[in-house]
Amino acid sequence: MTDRVPAVEIPILVRRRPPVLLAVEGLTKRFFSGEAAAVEDVSFTVAEGELVSLLGPSGCGKTTTLRLVGGFETPDTGRISLRGRDITHLPPEKRGIGFVFQDYALFPQLTVLENVKFGLRNMPRAEADKRAREMLGLVNLADLASRRPHELSGGQQQRVALARTLAVAPPLVLLDEPFSNLDAAMRVETRQEVRAMLKQAGSSAILVTHDQEEALALSDRIAVMEGGRIRQIGTPAQIYREPVSEFVASFIGRSNILPAQATGGSAETIFGNLALAREAAGDVAVAVRPEQITLQPDPAGSGTVVGREFRGHDQLYWVRAGGRTVLVIAGPFPIIETGTRVRLEVCDCVVPLSG
Amino acid sequence: MTASLVPARRRSAGQLLLLAPTLVVGALMLAPLFYLVLRALEADAATVTSLLLRPRTFELLVNTAALAAGVLVLATLIALPLAWLTTRTDLPGRRILNVLAVLPLAVPGYVMAYALIGLSGNYGFMNAVFGVTLPRPQGWLGATLALSLYTYPYLYLNLRAALSGLDQTLEESARALGCGPREVFTRVTLPHLMPAMMAGWLVIGLYTIGDFGAVALMRYEVFSYALYLAYSSAFDRLYAAWIALILVVIALAVVWWEARLREDIRLARTGSGSGVRPRLTALPPLACAAAYGFSGTVVLAALGLPVAVLSFWLLREPVWPVLPDLLRSFSQSLSAAAPAALLAVLLALPVAVLAVRFPSPISNFVNRLAFIGYAVPALAFALAFVFFALEAAPFLYQTQALLVLVYALAFLALALGPIRSALYQARPNLEDSARSLGYGPVGTFIHVVLPCIRRGVTAGLVLVFVVAMKELPIAFLLSPAGFRPLAIQLFSRTSEGMLIAAAPYAAAIIAFSGLTVAAVLRHEGRLE
Amino acid sequence: MNRSRCCLIAAAVLAAVPATAQNLTLYSGRGETLVSPIVAAFTEETGIEVDVRYAGTSELAVLLQEEGEASPADLFWSQDPGALGAVADLLAELPAEITDLVPSALRDDEGRWIATSGRQRVLVVSTERVEEEEIPESILDLTGEEYRGRVGWAPTNGSFQLHVTAMREALGEEETREWLEAMVANEAVVFSNNAAIVQGIADGEADFGLVNNYYLPRFLASDPEFPVRIAHFADGDVGNLLSVAAIGITASSDQQEEAAAFVEFLLSPQAQQYFASQVKEYPVTSSVVLDSDQPTLDMLETSAPDIDLNSLSDLEGTLELLREAGLL
Repeated sequence: MTDRVPAVEIPILVRRRPPVLLAVEGLTKRFFSGEAAAVEDVSFTVAEGELVSLLGPSGCGKTTTLRLVGGFETPDTGRISLRGRDITHLPPEKRGIGFVFQDYALFPQLTVLENVKFGLRNMPRAEADKRAREMLGLVNLADLASRRPHELSGGQQQRVALARTLAVAPPLVLLDEPFSNLDAAMRVETRQEVRAMLKQAGSSAILVTHDQEEALALSDRIAVMEGGRIRQIGTPAQIYREPVSEFVASFIGRSNILPAQATGGSAETIFGNLALAREAAGDVAVAVRPEQITLQPDPAGSGTVVGREFRGHDQLYWVRAGGRTVLVIAGPFPIIETGTRVRLEVCDCVVPLSG
Repeated sequence: MTASLVPARRRSAGQLLLLAPTLVVGALMLAPLFYLVLRALEADAATVTSLLLRPRTFELLVNTAALAAGVLVLATLIALPLAWLTTRTDLPGRRILNVLAVLPLAVPGYVMAYALIGLSGNYGFMNAVFGVTLPRPQGWLGATLALSLYTYPYLYLNLRAALSGLDQTLEESARALGCGPREVFTRVTLPHLMPAMMAGWLVIGLYTIGDFGAVALMRYEVFSYALYLAYSSAFDRLYAAWIALILVVIALAVVWWEARLREDIRLARTGSGSGVRPRLTALPPLACAAAYGFSGTVVLAALGLPVAVLSFWLLREPVWPVLPDLLRSFSQSLSAAAPAALLAVLLALPVAVLAVRFPSPISNFVNRLAFIGYAVPALAFALAFVFFALEAAPFLYQTQALLVLVYALAFLALALGPIRSALYQARPNLEDSARSLGYGPVGTFIHVVLPCIRRGVTAGLVLVFVVAMKELPIAFLLSPAGFRPLAIQLFSRTSEGMLIAAAPYAAAIIAFSGLTVAAVLRHEGRLE
Repeated sequence: MNRSRCCLIAAAVLAAVPATAQNLTLYSGRGETLVSPIVAAFTEETGIEVDVRYAGTSELAVLLQEEGEASPADLFWSQDPGALGAVADLLAELPAEITDLVPSALRDDEGRWIATSGRQRVLVVSTERVEEEEIPESILDLTGEEYRGRVGWAPTNGSFQLHVTAMREALGEEETREWLEAMVANEAVVFSNNAAIVQGIADGEADFGLVNNYYLPRFLASDPEFPVRIAHFADGDVGNLLSVAAIGITASSDQQEEAAAFVEFLLSPQAQQYFASQVKEYPVTSSVVLDSDQPTLDMLETSAPDIDLNSLSDLEGTLELLREAGLL
């Protein structure tokens, strides 16, 4: 796709919330009795046109949740409804939900065009052909229509898989780790294309990923999962700025988790008294993002630089202060050598964590 | 790839060392065919046209095609559901079913034919036990039954491997795109199985074209039976040579055609993601019952039938009077099969090493040639060697040495397969480090390569040995006087209608062939 | 795994030791079940081992021609004198003390082969499906409509082929060809050999069969209720051909004496008795005690056609005829 400008983040709260497309309530799935549930009491909704990510480490239950929504697994308890219709026990082919698999699952014996036409079997042949070519045009692969899947690059296969799914115009598309098979450079490029295509097609989507950067860049909302449960759900900005737990804070971006004594709107930390994003009391942990901390060389400062990594657009510093090592992200200049005494300051408020 | 690690000078020395025996193998494969052509061309054009352009030739062609088609269809109808049941469903007892499904490999086509014949007739099992005289199975139906029940495991093993290797996401994709289970099977699963299907069909097709025991006992006139008749009742060498040539052409055409088709449907896996392990379909009770009914029928027909009929015949008369004869036959079979296995492996080693370590046009070509012995129908292959021995090597004529040589060449491909895959798995840098530690090429081979590919060598040895033990057509043409291996004893008794006398030999073959199946099951992955 | 490999190699080495060269080599067109007991008896008596190559009589005859001087065969025991006549050039003259054992009609004029036992071509019929009045007068009648699909024959069998040679001799080339073609058109059922025909009639595959006389008694011996019986054509019909199994010694054999001993053994009272009482053939020497119901060769001469066994050597012509009729 030519449109490579990152989509402008519109805070969803400002818009009128569109109607709910998919509602998942109290979903639980246990594969082996006696073992921990793969998915436990998971509830969330997806609005029309919305792109929701299920984000979490491997084994957190995100793929199982996706397969439950797709109809490839049956939940032990819970309810899934699409536009108000209960689809909990419908087979996959009756749900009208698109699914893009991690390895794209292109049919190897069919050409690119035949793959895209695969789901259009109830359409007259000419019409299906036209629609499939349109979809290939949409993903910029019109000239590869007669190729076989194995003759395409990973990114091209990815787009064919998406075109095949979007061709049948499903109201909801499920994407399972869609970018994990692409190299790093391709990944950044492709994910904005995918987002643009989904938005253009007007489809809602649920995307499963373990890559927080991907989730932040693509999603309207993110559901962070751990141990089969959703730990937090919200816009990328909310999740990043106000993680509710230590797990979320350290899984999304990097955080310095510091002990603190909270008294309402502020808390006492090794950096002194800091404003809290929400009120808390007593012994709490607070999350301080590395970019919230500034460094000033100061022979009387409380910290010592113990490590440094130059990353071009910024620098990482590991600073020993108050008996612990704190991670700081600073601009590319000036360069502060290790061993230098520094003064640390925290700007903006910090987040008290639960759990 | 691997060869580039070895310095060029040393490589050429090693290559030369291996090239000589490899070329000998290639020449041994081709020379007899050359003599076959030579013998066929002895006739003047008029004789040839009068021999070949008669209704009988066309009839043989139609019969051969009909038999191949019948066996392929029936074997597929048996193998496909069985493979699906054992790989993709939660059918209780599917592991046992898997073993039972492969076991009929232990019942060669001519023994199967013997069992079917023994079932019928005045003295048959059915008449003796149930008082029903069945007509003797024969012709197309009898031959198709006997061959399908014996050969379907080749297809089953292929389909099984393909089904359990099928990426589940393909099927799930199709369902997400709106296909029901049945449509998923026809539009996604079946096309995916095609390469395995064709590999299985190739093996079965070649076997069917080349089979002689079952068609002879079932009196079904196909090319190989006509070759047998031309040779055995009239010793009509000219006609036999021409039929053999036709058989060679048909077999090679089938191989070529299969290779072309396979080229067309490339099923390279796309993406590198982890394929999801196929999920087992839960069978409802009714389907379970149907599955048991189906697999029970197959197992009863392919295994129960020969065992029951055989036991019936065995119990009719005491076995001990023929025991000395049986032992003699067994040791004769052994005395051809064991050296043949050894020779096959010795011949396969240089061919395989050259192909794997020093790939070149020549080594690839000889590797293809090695499959001639496998593809060319055994009777035609043996006949070519009769002509070869009479013309070029009279000292070999009617000797056990020739029989052993022909066995080794005919089954070379069986030895080559496991040895080659073992070589692919053995790391070439081990050889390089041995060389850098001062071992010469021969020392490296003995101390490093051979221990690494020991399993492959043993597998090849066992496979060739067991297959040669029950071989019929080659023994039929090339056995020296006084040489009566088990297969010949069984065949001559059955064709004389002496089913009781044949029973001990059939039992010995089945019991021994159980080893084949053990070998096949152990090396399931390595067999094509 | 290593041990099993060692065992295999050891077995291979042991097995590769060739059989001793001093054994007699017998090419036998006669079936193994009839031959092996007599060979065993010979070995027991003389200590001479015999390697037997069993195959079709015609196959062995042409094989002998192909091999010529290089043939490993010392003896050729044939289903019929015709095949021996075809390879007579390659046979040695038998010693007079052997040829004198049988009447001159039962040996080659030049003493190169000698009969070992007599047999007759007969018609066997089902006892269940064939009425007495259905039995034809002549073999030539089997082409009639009432026999369509009911007659079993074995065109690849040596005895049958000899019978065809005899018919060519008695009836002429053309009439024989017509008969063969009419039989094919009448859907005669093809079997691979005599025993299979007899078994096939019991099993209902055919109602009539053209076989040698001694096959049925073997079945009857183990089952008196066996539903097949022997019938004969009218006296003198070519269908009642009287023939012999015969043997000759190859000129190229370097074991003439041992080979002669084998031939002599076949004509000994012991062997002749075996042919008569076990194989149910007719003895060619007079020293045999016969069952009361068993005819001697002399007694059969009235029913048999008058054909000189020495004239039946054109096997090649017969094979050509069978090929043209689409039977080979």
